[in-house]
Amino acid sequence: MLKIILPMTMLLPVTLLSPAKFMWTNTTMHSLLIASVSLHWLTPSYYPLKNLTPWTGTDQISTPLMVLSCWFLPLMIMASQGHLQHEPHERKRMFISTLIIIQPFIILAFSTTELILFYISFEATLIPTLILITRWGNQPERLSAGIYLLFYTLISSLPLLITILYLHSKTGTLHLPILKLTHPNSPTSWTTLLSSFALLMAFMVKAPLYGLHLWLPKAHVEAPIAGSMLLAALLLKLGGYGIMRITLLTEPVSNFLYYPFLTLALWGALMTSSICLRQTDLKSLIAYSSVSHMGLVIAAGMIQTQWSFSGAMILMISHGLTSSLLFCLANTNYERTHSRILILTRGLQPLLPLMSVWWLLANLTNMALPPTTNLMAELTIMIALFNWSPPTIILTGIATLLTASYTLYMLLSTQRGTLPTHITTTPNSNTREHLLMTLHIIPMLALILKPELISGTPL
Amino acid sequence: MNPHAKLISSMSLIMGTSITISSNHWILAWTGLEINTLAIIPLISKSHHPRAIEAAVKYFLTQSTASALILFSSMSNAWSTGQWDITQLNHPTSCLLLTMAIAIKLGLVPFHFWFPEVLQGSSLTTALLLSTLMKLPPITLLLLTSQSLNPTLLTFLAISSALVGGWMGLNQTQTRKILAFSSISHLGWMIAIIAYNPQLTILTFALYTMMTTAVFLSLAQIKVLKLSTMLISWTKTPMLNATMMLTLLSLAGLPPLTGFMPKWLIIQELTKQEMTPTATIISMLSLLGLFFYLRLAYHSTITLPPNSSNHMKLWRTNKALSTLTAILTATSTSLLPLSPLIITMF
Repeated sequence: MLKIILPMTMLLPVTLLSPAKFMWTNTTMHSLLIASVSLHWLTPSYYPLKNLTPWTGTDQISTPLMVLSCWFLPLMIMASQGHLQHEPHERKRMFISTLIIIQPFIILAFSTTELILFYISFEATLIPTLILITRWGNQPERLSAGIYLLFYTLISSLPLLITILYLHSKTGTLHLPILKLTHPNSPTSWTTLLSSFALLMAFMVKAPLYGLHLWLPKAHVEAPIAGSMLLAALLLKLGGYGIMRITLLTEPVSNFLYYPFLTLALWGALMTSSICLRQTDLKSLIAYSSVSHMGLVIAAGMIQTQWSFSGAMILMISHGLTSSLLFCLANTNYERTHSRILILTRGLQPLLPLMSVWWLLANLTNMALPPTTNLMAELTIMIALFNWSPPTIILTGIATLLTASYTLYMLLSTQRGTLPTHITTTPNSNTREHLLMTLHIIPMLALILKPELISGTPL
Repeated sequence: MNPHAKLISSMSLIMGTSITISSNHWILAWTGLEINTLAIIPLISKSHHPRAIEAAVKYFLTQSTASALILFSSMSNAWSTGQWDITQLNHPTSCLLLTMAIAIKLGLVPFHFWFPEVLQGSSLTTALLLSTLMKLPPITLLLLTSQSLNPTLLTFLAISSALVGGWMGLNQTQTRKILAFSSISHLGWMIAIIAYNPQLTILTFALYTMMTTAVFLSLAQIKVLKLSTMLISWTKTPMLNATMMLTLLSLAGLPPLTGFMPKWLIIQELTKQEMTPTATIISMLSLLGLFFYLRLAYHSTITLPPNSSNHMKLWRTNKALSTLTAILTATSTSLLPLSPLIITMF
């Protein structure tokens, strides 16, 4: 673990002490190196926990997410080069430092076995994200976006803290493996119900669940590209991962607890997909599609079967890559026209044909085309939900249909049709942008060949 | 202010605080409190502004009333138990009176009305003294008598202080009043745990003093008295504004900054003592405070160019930053990993 955490923390001095000419090169290259070293975590095993230290341990649920977060740091740094190029050098440095500060906390959050350390890392990602959104966002709405992000997350996570400490006073420990072993819980008392509810709510807001998702469109839209990538690919997955870890503490299952979350998650997948069809703001469209996909993850996390956890894992990883890719593509549009309005940036295929290849691939993976891992995930979750209760197929089926329709709408709006008359010149897509898209697509395509790596089950 | 007068006032403050903290006899404790009250009056009113004079008078009246109540409670305890030992406060009326008197002295709800106005009337440095040093003797008295005080009453004072401190701070634009309400809310947290684990009260008070001193010193450095000034003060000291954001968020209690430590430990102790609803209520109420800390943070750093540049900028000063501010800011943001060490110190 230390071979990743220490270099990642040392990236901060690299940023602060690099000469101006080499700052981007140094940070990108070193974070890519760390990302490639982190790939060894993916080796599957039947041991319950690997890479054991007194406070961390990785297993098949946490390693794909940790590898994803290591992979995303160079991508975020590369993506930010565009909008930061005219800033003074110090501000570029501060931006990259903010990105780097989040990384150790995310790695800690995904790998820790101690619940309080998980809570602290979970909350610690909030302040740098707040800084990214409100300091480097571009519209005045970013201030209320920061407030929504902070308050939605904190209102739900304070009860989580209290319940974690209550667990500590009852069982004497917060070490997850031990909690797995010593957890009798009377299924009918109010205390159990409230404590399970409190444990889950923080992750429901983070994931986000449909009724608690209002912070997400604001935060995703107002954030700069690195902020959007970070939020979509990593911070939402903290919610999904938290649900998968915490549900072992809310046994035995009480139906009162899970029905509301399942209903809201599945209905929310439908609702947000429908809203996507009427969005005028491109980033808002992608943000609502995130809510839709994560709704499926929450639903799978609630029913807690092997297949559903496996499907949730694959969906989290593939959605992370796809959503981030879509945000990068939307950002290329934004950098050229400084507008996110869908109809103002339409018909780009004749202008930027190479970028339209990436648009096509991104939208094909978003709508869960076979043989991408998105399809594997959605099918696995749909089947697991069908096994749990047959009528859910109606909801998941319609959600899949709506996903395909809004994705097609997004593709056709941005790529086909007549060019708007106000676009007279566009800078051509540069190599950095193509590299960015490639680095998103290659993991997705490679994972088609071996999805067991991210499926959350030992081979 | 005349250096001799300043010397006498500061020496008296130190003497008064030391007398109260180290005393065993109630009369001596009362003496120290009175010396403190009298010594800080010239410091509050030194600018001779009508608001300052009014603040000094309000401070004097409330603190004298509270001291008289403390004297009365100790005397009634002496009448019924025959001894003047501070830790042996056994008579129930005395305990009740003492709790109320200390609440007046500290500015706990419902006796908090003097505090924002007194802070607003004094200069930033005097406000710092009022928020940190002047709270030390009354909290010491509470700590010494904590085992005999009524926990329900203390919990009520705590929750209502957190509520009013958070809620009233929302509409303020003057930084001293905002910090006054933050002080009231933090005092609520300190009082919540005093009946169960007085060490945590000491810890919270120490950390709160450190963070508030960092904020007050930073504000005094850039002479920011209201939010609109804070918005344009970044040109003077950009780094200080950025670190002030972190210190303010630490006061708000966000992990992984130091301010999270007292909140975490207090909630842990409260849940251990089966007071989970209290813990939930008081932690949700601290979110109200988070809003105005966040607004202060927005004004100090986050709304910066190139996003908002249609304003007159203040001249950059060449004043060197004081080392004390730097040290306090560093400790008030990065002390959380050292929590095991810090707990053992109290």
